[in-house]
Amino acid sequence: MHIPDGYLDIYTCLVTYIIAVVIGTLSFRNLKGLSEEKKVLIPVLAAAIFVAQMLNWPIPGGTSLHLVGGALAAMLLGPWGGNVVLMLVLLVQALVFHDGGITTLGANILNMGIVAVFTGWLVYKYVRNKKLASFLAGWLSITLAGIVCGIELGLSSQFLYGLSITVPVMGGWHAVLGVIEGVITMGVYTYLSARYPSLVSG
Amino acid sequence: MREIVVKHRKALVLILVLIAISPIFGVILAGIVGYHEPLDIAAEMLGLNETTEEINWTPFLDYSVPGLPPELGYIASGLLGAFVVLLLGYLVIKLMK
Repeated sequence: MHIPDGYLDIYTCLVTYIIAVVIGTLSFRNLKGLSEEKKVLIPVLAAAIFVAQMLNWPIPGGTSLHLVGGALAAMLLGPWGGNVVLMLVLLVQALVFHDGGITTLGANILNMGIVAVFTGWLVYKYVRNKKLASFLAGWLSITLAGIVCGIELGLSSQFLYGLSITVPVMGGWHAVLGVIEGVITMGVYTYLSARYPSLVSG
Repeated sequence: MREIVVKHRKALVLILVLIAISPIFGVILAGIVGYHEPLDIAAEMLGLNETTEEINWTPFLDYSVPGLPPELGYIASGLLGAFVVLLLGYLVIKLMK
């Protein structure tokens, strides 16, 4: 879901950059509230998600995706810590590997580092059965991030009908592929809560 | 940095293992199934053009390393990227203290 340079118009780039910077600043401020144990997790989790994003899901003949990890990061570190983790990943991907553009970095942070992270966190927080919550958090985080990504693309399009193409295509595909993100998120959550319960508590 | 390595040794080992197997997914299987994302489909329907190759600043485009075969380049990219991410993350928590 990394938008490359050239897909978004200048207004969409600007607005998404502003949102990313404002939320990012808030995130850094709110990191102080994290325990030492959680703080030390930030670099490790960011590196793990960076690598996990390199493992493309091989879906024969069809449309594929890779992990985003926003919901997982939010479940372990809360929304602010999760936002910082995804920002680190997206920044390095864009600057070192040009995976995701530089003009579109704000939009990519908005989709994967804000929409996916905060969706994941809200679902995890408010769904009572935590195992189910971890699946739903992963699935919904990808679906909504895909929809928001579709809105950005549609608004950038020179055609009036842009949105009516991009939102169903992006939302529909991500709702299907997001199931895999949900399963992986639930798997990692189940493992961590059995082995390292302190990591997944609050 | 030591604290991170000591506390999360298992996670760091897992990261190395994932990097080692990453070309299977990111290069070999991706090539076989013709990896493309929903974003590529939407962009195609709108006729959007990316400028990634015209305006590029990095030799490591697409997780490759010039002169290395794609599988090895992917592994080297994984090591480089994971290291830079770890280092930046470490600086972030250092700055917070």
